[in-house]
Amino acid sequence: MAIKRGVSFYSYQQSQFFRELDLESQIREVGEALPDADGVEIVDEMSLRYPDPGDEFVARWFDWMDRYGTTPVTMDVCMDVLQFRDHVMTYEECADRLRRDIRLAERLGFRNVRVLSVVPLEVMLSALPLAEELDVRLGKEIHQPMPLEGRQVTEIVEHVERTGTRHLGIVPDFGIFGWRPSEVQLAWFERRGASPAATAAAVELAELLRAGKAPVGAVDMSFSTAGNLRVDVKRFLTTGEVDPAFADTFRGVKAFTESRVDDPAEIDHTVVFEALMLSNTSGDTLRELVPHVVSVHGKFNNMSEIPGRPGQYQDIAIDYDTAISALVAGGYDGYVNSEYEGQRYFQDRGRAELADEVEQVRRHQEMLRRLTAA
Amino acid sequence: MFENFLIREDSLRNDEVDGDVVGFRLAVRNANYRGVFLSLHNGYFLEVDGVSYPRDVQTFEINGREPRTFSELRGQVWEHWDYDDEGVLHVAAPGGLAPGVHTVRFQQSVLAAYGYQPTDEEWVANPPVPGTGAGSEKAPEIVVHTLELTAEKETV
Repeated sequence: MAIKRGVSFYSYQQSQFFRELDLESQIREVGEALPDADGVEIVDEMSLRYPDPGDEFVARWFDWMDRYGTTPVTMDVCMDVLQFRDHVMTYEECADRLRRDIRLAERLGFRNVRVLSVVPLEVMLSALPLAEELDVRLGKEIHQPMPLEGRQVTEIVEHVERTGTRHLGIVPDFGIFGWRPSEVQLAWFERRGASPAATAAAVELAELLRAGKAPVGAVDMSFSTAGNLRVDVKRFLTTGEVDPAFADTFRGVKAFTESRVDDPAEIDHTVVFEALMLSNTSGDTLRELVPHVVSVHGKFNNMSEIPGRPGQYQDIAIDYDTAISALVAGGYDGYVNSEYEGQRYFQDRGRAELADEVEQVRRHQEMLRRLTAA
Repeated sequence: MFENFLIREDSLRNDEVDGDVVGFRLAVRNANYRGVFLSLHNGYFLEVDGVSYPRDVQTFEINGREPRTFSELRGQVWEHWDYDDEGVLHVAAPGGLAPGVHTVRFQQSVLAAYGYQPTDEEWVANPPVPGTGAGSEKAPEIVVHTLELTAEKETV
């Protein structure tokens, strides 16, 4: 068995927003334009009339899968704990939502459901019996800045080893193999006023952190999300307030920026903090975890041509060689689905400057095809 | 996300009821890569030519229903604002806007989030006021749009 390939339609969020590609066009792109790819991954609240797309849609969905030779692989579901507005949802209410989403996934032929990295294990375990009954695997996304080595992963592995369930695991997002901030993100920061010295400092700090030589204290990111961490950084930069566990690190990053940038503005500090959003996870850990991998998000922010190799592409900021080698060495035979996220770094300008999502995914598939064949 | 593109460019029009101009409207999209339950939609920071139009003069039209206030929307805990759909923000402002070009400062607030947040209990008790940045993680900046009022009026 070999690694299979597909596309998360998250990649086409902008094309859908601008009504350039509807759902059928996205499915057709996978089936007809991407050699040997057949996997379809959706975010339910993006691609569907939610929460009930209707029977007519479901019939059409399966017609499309037949017509374009595609396969539903993973459905990504969300958790908004303020839905009821008069109280914060309990774990059991979150599990109710997850159970409804599992039923929806099964109705559309998906074999896996991805939950967000911050969903408590208790919520997943509450929904697990239904997942087992419907033969749908639940996977928790492991997303930067979390590493694979943290508690979010070990608690799942321990539960699986204790109970033997085959329906619980993880969905690694390959942003965890990012080793420097993406060049398109840094360019976006510079257009918004960050100095080139600050974006260079972000790359330098990322490299130092990776080498274990950074002049800032280590911090456990196992329970952090990039979005929440950015909110913490913003608060620290504007008020000086910081969680004691993060205090040394945050002060260290600030001092690093001051040592590299003359009279840094807030945005200069903000961009250097991006170096903290990287997981620096290990390929060895991924190889060992392969039996627990439900599905993979092939995250990328910018595919550019490899110098001197026409028609071959790479994301210079993510170590795909390590990531794919680890999956191969571990005997992974599930799907890696392209998940393009760099479009957001072009949306500060006009329509003409927007990124081409379709082309970016085609390039990413070229890279996956090449690396998985090697 | 999509901050520069949340308002449809040709959508600024005056609203008319029985021949009287009662306010104006804008067609808007959700600043996210997905839809949300309508209850999470928490209103807008909106300033036109320096005049502020707070949430209590805003109503929102979506899903083929009459425009509803944000207190009404707060109770729509099972109705969904799908990702593909454009909604219409109506603003009560007797006389409406003058013909010509207007400067619109705009920020959307939707209380969607990645899981539990430290602000959850506070936002149940005191939902954030749009424009403060709180509740606008997907569109963290107030964006300035220059829009021309389309001459034809719309009947509400």
